[in-house]
Amino acid sequence: MRYIIIGGSAAAISAVESIRSLDRESPIDLFSEEETPLFSRVLLPYYIAEELSKPLLNFRTADFFDENRVTAHMGLKVTVIDPKTKTIETVDKKTYAFDKLLIATGGKAIVPPIPGIDKEGISTLKTMADAERIYNTKGARAVVIGAGSIGVEACISLTRRGIKTTLLEQLGQVMPTVFDAEAAAIVQRRIEDLGIEVFTGEKALKFTGDKRVQGVVTDNREIPCDMVVLSVGVRPAAELAVRAGLTIGDMKGIRIDENMMTSVQDIYAAGDVAETRDIARNAYFLNAIWPCAFEQGHIAGLNMAGRKTAYPGSYRRNSIGNFIGIPAISMGVTHAESCALQSDEDEFREIRVRTKESYKKLVLRNGKIIGAILVGQTQKAGLMSILLRKQVNVADSIPLLMSDRLSFMDLLPILRRNADQFSEPEYKELIDTGL
Amino acid sequence: MKVLMVDKEKCTGCHQCELWCGTEIASISKELATAINETPQPVPRVYVEGKPFAMQCRHCEEAPCLDACPNGTMRRDPETGLIYVNEPTCIACWMCVMVCPFGIINPSSSLKVAIKCDRCRSMGYPICAEVCPTGAISLVERKDYRKKKF
Repeated sequence: MRYIIIGGSAAAISAVESIRSLDRESPIDLFSEEETPLFSRVLLPYYIAEELSKPLLNFRTADFFDENRVTAHMGLKVTVIDPKTKTIETVDKKTYAFDKLLIATGGKAIVPPIPGIDKEGISTLKTMADAERIYNTKGARAVVIGAGSIGVEACISLTRRGIKTTLLEQLGQVMPTVFDAEAAAIVQRRIEDLGIEVFTGEKALKFTGDKRVQGVVTDNREIPCDMVVLSVGVRPAAELAVRAGLTIGDMKGIRIDENMMTSVQDIYAAGDVAETRDIARNAYFLNAIWPCAFEQGHIAGLNMAGRKTAYPGSYRRNSIGNFIGIPAISMGVTHAESCALQSDEDEFREIRVRTKESYKKLVLRNGKIIGAILVGQTQKAGLMSILLRKQVNVADSIPLLMSDRLSFMDLLPILRRNADQFSEPEYKELIDTGL
Repeated sequence: MKVLMVDKEKCTGCHQCELWCGTEIASISKELATAINETPQPVPRVYVEGKPFAMQCRHCEEAPCLDACPNGTMRRDPETGLIYVNEPTCIACWMCVMVCPFGIINPSSSLKVAIKCDRCRSMGYPICAEVCPTGAISLVERKDYRKKKF
């Protein structure tokens, strides 16, 4: 068996570990466009903030490839996948044959078509080269365009370096795909408390300056700056798959089946490039987040190495971490309306509890959790996550779920009612012996 | 591997395990009278919750916290199978908190690390089981756990 993996981040590394758990011998060749191996993309804002030096960005130790006997081709671009001959070709015109291929090429940062976008001092934040460019840019005033997770973390990172930063978001709130308006307001106030100027509902129209950027013109004002970070989102890096004739989904990601296989036998996809069935939305969706990439790489690896394993489906999970001083976690859908497949019989409910410093919200479809937001008190977020993943009916336990005193043991009646879905030994132990 | 088992009949909810865990594992002074005045306040890794029942990390066979951690701070000890937080590298992103199905990882904003039970991996015995006055907490092989009659 010859394995080839295209990509070198979460999904790729997770797949290596799964393949090696079943197959110690067969050769694995891994190709990554990044020069730097094994770094964690989600930590790049921490690098810019000078909180983590480069070696501390690694999520696996430097000897990972040796330990797992992986031939890693770093900085080498794959140009062609040929499903007929089961080969790939690299930019240096070499050909490699595979029996099982994993496409884990991730995403590409979107560069919006704003006039003046090619001026110096403007950068996306996706690759190590991006992070180094931003880190090395000498500036006193920055504008971050796009207030998603990366945008928020980027503007806080720059602020910590003493750079006066403005955050610009064209939608009406910060982190629009992560939080609802109420949670976003709490987060935005925290961001502003750090000395960051936030403008929502405002669009960047053009960049001014000769060679180097000198300002951002919006619908309402001109913001002077000497650097710009673009964080308006990512799209799947699916070009190889498109050219190879693989089925692509509505959201431009590679469509996969429940075993993470693409429309072509023996070619698998996982991570930000893959379009998976979203449990919360009950539709195919791109959930370009670290935990999904890791899970999908794991399932893909097992299937590639011969152990047929089904992926239960993806769902969005975001944690803002310690960046804003209070924990905030969100998962699934933020509003009932954002569910794509709504049938007439579906019954949606939203439940909210707001105190001075905390906020909690559950979104339910037919009594099952499809979304949760927790700000302030987040320790029990994982309980919501597992109930969402397993899609069990919780309609009779709402007050309990909304309480800050919720504990795992309180969920035992729900688990017992759905014992067949909680078959993992850790749950069984407590179901059998608990209260 | 061995896991902690709690006998629901014997757990009286006295919180002795919490007190000892917080003092012995979490505090700097290791002495209760001083530990309660420490800043930041020591946090126990065991939670006496609900009805009551002492709850610790279950050290899952397929642990979501290991997969969610973006920089390898959450680790599994290859010899014992125990999962622990390598605190010096923790960046407080709370991804593990987000996925823990038992809700036993504490996002400590004062310490800026994820705090969870490592079943006293460096001590050779779990303190909660040692101090439980009714013997409600014991260490058993995972495969034997479900054979016990309650």
